[in-house]
Amino acid sequence: MFAQLIQDPPATAINYIQNPAAPAAIDEFGQLEKLASTFHHVDGLFYFTYAVCIFFFVVITGVLLFSCIKYRRKTFDQPPASNTTHNTPLEVVWTVIPLIIVMVMFAWGFKGSLDMTTVPFEASRNMYKASAKQWDWTFSYPNDPAVSYGELWLQVNKPAGFLLESKDVLHAFYMPAMRVKRDVIPGRYQTLWFEPTEIGDYHLFCAEYCGEGHSTMYTKVHVVSEADYQKRPWDVWDDSTPAAAAKSGRSLYDRICFTCHSLNGTPMTGPSWKGLFVKGPDGKITGGQREVFVGGQKQTITVDDAYITESILKPDAKKAAGFQNNAMPTQALDERRIKGIIELMKSLAETN
Amino acid sequence: MTTNVPTIEQHPPAPAARKNFWNVSSGFMSWAGTLDHKRIGIMYLIGVSSAFLCGGLFALLVRLHLWEPHGMLFSNETYNQIFTLHGAFMVFIFVIPAIPGSLGNMVLPLMLGAKDVALPRLNLLSFYLWCAGTALAILAIVLGGFDTGWTFYAPYSLYTNKAVVSIGLGIFMLGFSSIFTGLNFIVTTHKLRAPGMTWFRMPLFVWALYATAILQVLATPVLGITVLLVAFERIYNIGIFDPRLGGDPVLFEHFFWFYSHPAVYIMVLPAFGIISELVSVHSRKPLFGYKLIAFSSLAIAIISFLVWGHHMFTSGQSTYALFAFSFLTFFVAIPTAIKEFSWVATVYKGSIALNSPMLYTLAFLIIFAIGGLTGVILGALNVDIHLHDTYFVVAHFHYVMMGSIALAFFAGLHHWWPKMFGVMYDETLAKIAAVTIFIGFNATFIPQFIMGSRGMPRRYATYVPEYAPFHQASTIGAMVLGSGVALMVYYLVASLFQGRKAMENQWGGVTLEWHTPTPPPLENFEEPPIVTTEVYDYSTLDLETMRTPAR
Repeated sequence: MFAQLIQDPPATAINYIQNPAAPAAIDEFGQLEKLASTFHHVDGLFYFTYAVCIFFFVVITGVLLFSCIKYRRKTFDQPPASNTTHNTPLEVVWTVIPLIIVMVMFAWGFKGSLDMTTVPFEASRNMYKASAKQWDWTFSYPNDPAVSYGELWLQVNKPAGFLLESKDVLHAFYMPAMRVKRDVIPGRYQTLWFEPTEIGDYHLFCAEYCGEGHSTMYTKVHVVSEADYQKRPWDVWDDSTPAAAAKSGRSLYDRICFTCHSLNGTPMTGPSWKGLFVKGPDGKITGGQREVFVGGQKQTITVDDAYITESILKPDAKKAAGFQNNAMPTQALDERRIKGIIELMKSLAETN
Repeated sequence: MTTNVPTIEQHPPAPAARKNFWNVSSGFMSWAGTLDHKRIGIMYLIGVSSAFLCGGLFALLVRLHLWEPHGMLFSNETYNQIFTLHGAFMVFIFVIPAIPGSLGNMVLPLMLGAKDVALPRLNLLSFYLWCAGTALAILAIVLGGFDTGWTFYAPYSLYTNKAVVSIGLGIFMLGFSSIFTGLNFIVTTHKLRAPGMTWFRMPLFVWALYATAILQVLATPVLGITVLLVAFERIYNIGIFDPRLGGDPVLFEHFFWFYSHPAVYIMVLPAFGIISELVSVHSRKPLFGYKLIAFSSLAIAIISFLVWGHHMFTSGQSTYALFAFSFLTFFVAIPTAIKEFSWVATVYKGSIALNSPMLYTLAFLIIFAIGGLTGVILGALNVDIHLHDTYFVVAHFHYVMMGSIALAFFAGLHHWWPKMFGVMYDETLAKIAAVTIFIGFNATFIPQFIMGSRGMPRRYATYVPEYAPFHQASTIGAMVLGSGVALMVYYLVASLFQGRKAMENQWGGVTLEWHTPTPPPLENFEEPPIVTTEVYDYSTLDLETMRTPAR
């Protein structure tokens, strides 16, 4: 409806969360996402306080509406029906009873938070590392050399501990279905644990504002069976042919690079990847010309694999003209993945 | 030769128009250099209302943008600036100064039976500091905007290439404006009460402003220090909050919330004061539990200094800190609940006039019940871990900031409008606007409670599509809310040009501001008042003053 009011399609149309997890199931009370971890006390206390709130809200609103109807001023000089200014027993009651109720909530909530903040032994033997930077996540797996970018696999019914670190600003690790959230703070490690109990795909959001790509800092978390987990799905990378490598590169792009780089020529925080490589009249793909700043000096270079690799691992070495003031974080990708990204860039080449 | 000189008998001179604070002098300097608390109050009113309308416009842009999951109007960068502007304008330029600066300035000396505030020059300085702070905020927009959120969390606020220093200095100035207003009100309340005006004969609006003033004077300097540290860190690279320089970003959160939690009560206590006045006047009944309400304001002022950590439950505080902050947070719920119950008990068996100020008051009572109760949900440690930084929190604090404080401001504005201007607005339109705003407000924020409890994080320029229906419902609600506010602006402004005369005592109030002509003379009272009756004693109400047009 409102979209018709806008003339130009917004630049963000290409910059939103790609392929998110399916919408979460809603629990039987219809308010929260269905719980997928063992933290039942969160839902228990939530619904308890919710019920208490509804009770008090109904009482307050009921008395107000009743009074407005019954005691409405009908004549100009109508005196009030009562001039009572206080009632000590009543005031004691409405001070003490809410006090008791909130103390119950406090104790319940505190006990629950102890459970959530104390990493149990089994989880401490199964520690993942989640490394946050603007604007994506990198995950390391327990006793496994491979890492995954912007996507995470967990084993069902096995407590998972997380060591959280930030490379730049504040972030927060938030999985609504698991009821866990923890700020990720640069300069210190944070821990978090939970035990996923349902197989499925879940959202992992960044919940602490971290700049332009905050809302696209999204990760799909797959909770899989033990058998599927043993297949190490995070280490699947098909580069058997250039086309397959480009496809693998695209899946990585959709999880990390898309927050700053477009594939269609639109400049974003960083330059578009279109035009990095060009196709000659004979169909041969070669590197295009590009103006870069090296140590503040402007140069023209020919794009090649070495330049792309350097720009991923040392983004400040040669900065594309027009983007020299925008910082790109180092992307610690391995050789195969860098190759996949380069194949993706080459697949964008068109005949001039 | 005789001339036809008219005799006195034929043409008696018209009685000189009564001088009030509007017509006692004129010209630009009579306003720009005025020391009269009423004129300063009017200037504040114009200023904060403009800030509210700007902030509201930003809010509508935010809501429109979120109509579609990938964002409909702006790039992410622009969206981040717009929600930051919305927050910063609403919090620092509108909500904090709104009620003390405009209605407080206008009414507090009248209620105390004083000629003016104790330090009139400081009062004017306070207004000009507000102007300077606002000017710096606008300058920051011109210099490229700022995209840190109103919380300015480090280290992002240290790294972003936007105009953070300019807005930081603006907030520093606005802070001093707030401190000076508070200082003024403390001295005025202590020194300028009329003879017979004992502490427990003071109207509750004065009690609330007094408790607010204590918070303003004690808490605001911490904000000033914090924004200065951010500015120094940005300019001179001193490592205070930046971990790359050996600083600690969590320290910033502590500093920020050490001010900003008491600031919540700086914002809401004056609103409580207005509601206390209005439920009494429009129910024509003494306030239920006067002393308990007065003391609960002070209790809130004290406890509010000790709960800042509940904004940081997910930041990795120690277990002991979590324990203390959660316990005290629940504890602060009690004096707040006492107030709500006392207001409801005042309305019960009253003589309730359902005029527009009372409709806004009733809207406040219902909305604040939700705002306060959802705060209790957020106080629970384990539940807050799930709900922190989601739209549930956004909805909760809008129920307090917009639904309670702004509506109390509207209620007070409608209540004292005839007193300030001597004219009445169109009551029918006012009632329509009050109902529209109430419906629009709830339609905007109830969907946000639901999507928040389902995990929608705040400050998102784009979102996963499953939340789209809630965002769209919220956007429609915001449009209804916006049209209600637009209607309110229309009839209030129209009343100044074509309004009929207000009555001397439009609503039948018995506090001192209704014992002086409408609008009040420059010196507030023709005779210095002497207080001989208890506060809210409606047996002293002269009903004829409600039917006598203002002179």
